[in-house]
Amino acid sequence: MKIGIQGLFSAALALSLVALTGCVDTAGTTVNVDHVDGVSEVLEDSVRLRRQMGVEVNSLNYDTVNGMKRVHITLANKKHKRIKLHYRISWFNENGMEVDPDTKPYRSLIIEGKDKVTVTGVANSLQAVRSKLRVRAAKEAM
Amino acid sequence: MKKSIIAFPALALTAVFLTGCASMPTVSETPLDRNPITSKMEAQDVRRTVEKMAESLISAPGVKEMTGGKRPVLDIEPLQNRTMQHIDMVSVTDSLRMQLLRSGLFRFVDKSTAGTDIEFMDAQANLGLTDSKKAVRAGQQSAAQMYLTGALTEIKNTVGRTTDQYYKFSMILKDLRTGELVWADEQEIRKQSVKSRF
Repeated sequence: MKIGIQGLFSAALALSLVALTGCVDTAGTTVNVDHVDGVSEVLEDSVRLRRQMGVEVNSLNYDTVNGMKRVHITLANKKHKRIKLHYRISWFNENGMEVDPDTKPYRSLIIEGKDKVTVTGVANSLQAVRSKLRVRAAKEAM
Repeated sequence: MKKSIIAFPALALTAVFLTGCASMPTVSETPLDRNPITSKMEAQDVRRTVEKMAESLISAPGVKEMTGGKRPVLDIEPLQNRTMQHIDMVSVTDSLRMQLLRSGLFRFVDKSTAGTDIEFMDAQANLGLTDSKKAVRAGQQSAAQMYLTGALTEIKNTVGRTTDQYYKFSMILKDLRTGELVWADEQEIRKQSVKSRF
């Protein structure tokens, strides 16, 4: 009977492992900026990815150019080795709906060890008032 | 007895190989911005380039000033493909035009469909189907004040099993009246592929 329970437990564990291997954790760092109120927040969705990537949000600025909202976010590599990332800056209107999501692809970014890089995003519409930066590890992008 | 011991795994292996050949390829949907799979120009490279160029043009300081604060009327000339690869450059320029139009900062005319415009106007004027007061007459279309053009170039180097490929998208916006270049930008892409030893 004891063996039976152990066997059942092992099978469940194996099944869980199989299920987990199929899923890829892509929830990295997120930076939300409200260009009207000036409120910003940095979210670390995954502790594992934060440790793995070693990237931190150093500073952020925003302005307007030709009537379009623009955001500058400085990312810092906390590790000594080069890291490869993907980032995407998406834009939202007053109602919180994303504006033309297909026109904002993930871009690749390489940050050298202990270096900082500023990424810039320009809104794709005059209606865009909020921006969101998402950072994910490059190897998760298959 | 010994023969059957050897023959059975051999038969099984052959069956596995044959099944592999006969089976359908595995097809799945992937993200639009996936990791590169070749050192050639890929869909994600084009998407990133178009986005970068659109952002750069939207935030260019001189464009609005040149037209007195009004939305400038642009035309777009397909980029020249100076690489050894076949790339649909018309599709690239179409994507760029779409993003710029959606931004609401620019107006576009399309020289490439002028022939169709004439056919429509001719039909409206001559077939007798259209109300003559409502028929669109030639000579009223907006004129392009500026046009966008550019080129894609590549440098390819192969050393041993390693291939290094460099691409450069360069674009310019030219004022038709003055002949001045109002805006220019470029996007560089560098890729490396290493062939397997086997």
